[in-house]
Amino acid sequence: MASKEIREEAFNKAKDIVNQLAVIIRTAAIHDTGNIAVTTAIDKFIAIVNPLILSEGELVLELGGEFFYLNEARIRYPLEYLPNFDFLVREFKRRGLGSIIFRDALKSEDVQSFLRAFIASASSLESFEALAEEIVDVSSLGVSRLRKIRDEEKTEGSSDVRKMVKKSYFNAVSYTRGVVSKIKSGEKVNIKKVKRVVESMVDLILEEEHLLLGMTAIKDYDEYTYHHSVNVSILAVALAQRLGLNKRALTELGLVALFHDIGKIGIPIEVLNKPTSFTDDEWHMVQKHPFWGVRAILKMRGIDATVARAAIVAFEHHMYHDLSGYPKTKESFELDFYSKIISLADQYDAMTAARVYSRIPLPPDRALSIMMERAGTQLDPILFKFFINMIGVFPVGTLVMLDTRELGLVYQSNTVFLDRPKVLVIINSKGERGEGYIVDLTEKAPDGKFLRTIVKTMDPNKYRINLAEYLL
Amino acid sequence: MELPDDIKAAREIVQALLKAKKTFRMYPETNPMYARTIEDTHAKFRNFFDYRDELTFKIKQNEIFCDSEQIYSNPQKEDNIALFFFKDGLREITFKKGFSVKELEDFLKILTVDYDREVLDDDVVTLLWERDFQNVRHVVDEVFLTEDEGYENEAVSEIQDKTAGADELTRAYEDSFNEEAVKDAVIVPLTDKDLHTVVKEIDKDVHDKTGKLITIIFEMLYQAENKSEYEDVAHFLNSIIEFSITHGDLETALHILRKTREVIGVSSIADDARKNLNMVFSFLGFDATIKLLGELLDSGVEINEKVWDEYVAFLDKNAIQPFITILGELKSIPARKNVINALISLGRKDIQSIAKGLYDSRWYVVRNIIYILGKIGDKAAVDYLLKTVNHSDIRVRKEGIKALGELGAPRVFPALRECLNDPDIQIKTAAVHALGNIRSTAAKNIILQRMTAATFVKVEFSERKEFYEVLAHWKDDDIVEFLMKTLKKKSFFRSALNDENRACAAYCLGLIGNKDALPLLHKAKESKNKLLREHVYSAIKRIEHGQ
Repeated sequence: MASKEIREEAFNKAKDIVNQLAVIIRTAAIHDTGNIAVTTAIDKFIAIVNPLILSEGELVLELGGEFFYLNEARIRYPLEYLPNFDFLVREFKRRGLGSIIFRDALKSEDVQSFLRAFIASASSLESFEALAEEIVDVSSLGVSRLRKIRDEEKTEGSSDVRKMVKKSYFNAVSYTRGVVSKIKSGEKVNIKKVKRVVESMVDLILEEEHLLLGMTAIKDYDEYTYHHSVNVSILAVALAQRLGLNKRALTELGLVALFHDIGKIGIPIEVLNKPTSFTDDEWHMVQKHPFWGVRAILKMRGIDATVARAAIVAFEHHMYHDLSGYPKTKESFELDFYSKIISLADQYDAMTAARVYSRIPLPPDRALSIMMERAGTQLDPILFKFFINMIGVFPVGTLVMLDTRELGLVYQSNTVFLDRPKVLVIINSKGERGEGYIVDLTEKAPDGKFLRTIVKTMDPNKYRINLAEYLL
Repeated sequence: MELPDDIKAAREIVQALLKAKKTFRMYPETNPMYARTIEDTHAKFRNFFDYRDELTFKIKQNEIFCDSEQIYSNPQKEDNIALFFFKDGLREITFKKGFSVKELEDFLKILTVDYDREVLDDDVVTLLWERDFQNVRHVVDEVFLTEDEGYENEAVSEIQDKTAGADELTRAYEDSFNEEAVKDAVIVPLTDKDLHTVVKEIDKDVHDKTGKLITIIFEMLYQAENKSEYEDVAHFLNSIIEFSITHGDLETALHILRKTREVIGVSSIADDARKNLNMVFSFLGFDATIKLLGELLDSGVEINEKVWDEYVAFLDKNAIQPFITILGELKSIPARKNVINALISLGRKDIQSIAKGLYDSRWYVVRNIIYILGKIGDKAAVDYLLKTVNHSDIRVRKEGIKALGELGAPRVFPALRECLNDPDIQIKTAAVHALGNIRSTAAKNIILQRMTAATFVKVEFSERKEFYEVLAHWKDDDIVEFLMKTLKKKSFFRSALNDENRACAAYCLGLIGNKDALPLLHKAKESKNKLLREHVYSAIKRIEHGQ
């Protein structure tokens, strides 16, 4: 086989490298590193990793955000690898470990030394230093520290990325507005372009998920309907990428999600924006929107697989997991997988937005706790678990008081430590309002205690506070 | 000025890609040219990577640059590879040293797609993106995707106007001390069982969604409130049928049709619903639908006979004319056979519409229609078929005569009798066989009349033999008697012609298998005429040994 092909195949095995690394660490935590269970797992790890070290010269396995990268290429993995990937993310973060550098073909003894050092470092107050010092004599291996979050935020590159995310987000919203207007006037819609818009969102979710999720947390736009469609699309794709759907499926899901509420074009805007409860007639009209959605989608263009999917989701997104929602159907029904995902995203975004049926926007954490009560009845309980793992116990946009008497907004979720997101502090511990700074609630003091913890959550809507001021 | 070697190598790659784009469109994957093109093109890449680790093409509307050197230019729209990339927003493509043969093949496949086809929702950027090459990067200008450039600023300023003032923030801070503390957050860990459930659901999700969509459309029917909603339902069901046919899936179309029939049969259903559902059956017979069906039949996709028959049973007579139209256009024999069978079945509902096909300008279509009318077996077709006996094409005439024989109504006799005297032997033969098929006494008499005419002895031996062969259908005493008489007949004049007649009679007796003829046949085997002897021997063998 040509060396290039070996390289490509080896890169395809990157997910196995991470998976097997997690396996040997887990095994070594139970048994001595010389135990056969450990050495067998080590041999397997070496068999995967060495061909790649040989072809690349040097191999850097790096943790960036919540993802692993191998020589800068993001490693994608199927769902069944999720526990091991999450485990390794947690273990890296626990030690402040940013990357492992494989410089030369590994021997079993090298890996054993690394494992001993890795396991011992967990109990050290300065875990990373302890680990680095212990493996200093292992020439084939090296480690480097996890990059500090504050440094990341300050870099010029990050501001460019933010601009790009913002641009993509608003572009998606304005594009959705254009598409809806075309559908209303019976014009033809260029699906190729809509697909491209969704693809760029999928890219951003894969690379800069927290920034795009942050954009969905900003509510209170005048053009609620279009922002809602885009938000649901982003939340659904973010959830689905955690479930291991491929790029093609993510695009289809994102596209379908954009059109889930298209049936609302049949409801007068005065009804949609009505500040009081609906009359029976208005409620009847609202309940018809799934039917109108199917109609609008099927009239948009000829039937194909994506159109069928979009129509199904438009019909089912209010039916609920236990089919207690609407529309009620005559025949037995099993909800589509996409409908289940989009229904979650839809409920969350609708509950936290200002213009919805409930009329009262809920703070994100409150919305999540209501959704938790609905898991198993209105919502698919397993997908909800994934959702909460994605969005965190305190979702982006939650107004929180820290035990340091700092007041802030949740800025970025932590998918490993769900209750320890990054927070944008808007009032410091002295009660002063400043420019705002980001703190990571996983940061610890030298004594091993967390520097900050959320003690209270509040309703940001009550004080007209949102992330817009800081993100836009 | 002479270009550096690496730039020359890059230029050769562009040329190789252009050539490969054409080759890939012309040759299937199994053709050696296909593999050779990949190998040749990859060799160009290898050559470049001897100089550098990365190759970046910068794409302008009509040019491609490598570094600052122009390596491709084409002011024309046709076959312009720069424009091909540029129009979808592609501005830069970079190939890395590890670019493999497999990646090249996939890249070439993306170049070869016919993006102008309306049914395709992908452009070149989408396909590059979905393929997610390990060693190809691309840069895209998304400006052309922007609908409203001012929207971002508008939305941002609007929302920023709504943000909290300092007083509200201070109030929030002060209030926070009176808020209730958060309880320990409930973190629900994912279990292996959860993962397995989701993996199973994802696996299950790959199945076709059309069935589900059909269920939804029927739900829309049950809850429709006005005429337009019923019309929409019928229209959507038609679209799904069209989609299913296009994808070679007649089963799904059948599923809709069965369900439609079932719902129509429900007494409580609204009149508008019933009326519109009936439209679904009419739609099956529309020109466009039948055309799609024809394309499916001609595509070589195997169609289950039972499924086809059931589908045809749902068709209305409005399908007849479109079927006749495509009958002359279909290329494969099995496809034509299916359409002919469909027309036979439909023709029973409306023979007149089928008969209109007799005026088709294509002789082969007319011949098929005659065949169909014959197979329908309705004697009402005779009047139409009688006209075909005088058609300008002999193949049509023969088929017409044959069909008349199959229908066998008394009014076919004058025409068939006339055909027995036609100058063309093929027509005469067809006519006698048609009469033979009828098996009636009247038919027999017409044949005998012709055979006993003085002029009959002058016709070709082979033609006479056909007449005798047809006579064997009757096995009647008068026929046996006539044959024995012919076999016995001696003639001093034109004895050779007489022996030919005797040979024919012997042959016919053999076919009838009448043992009473054996003594006479044994006697005749002593004849000096070789032709007669041979026929007699063969007849005896057939009667005695059943061979």
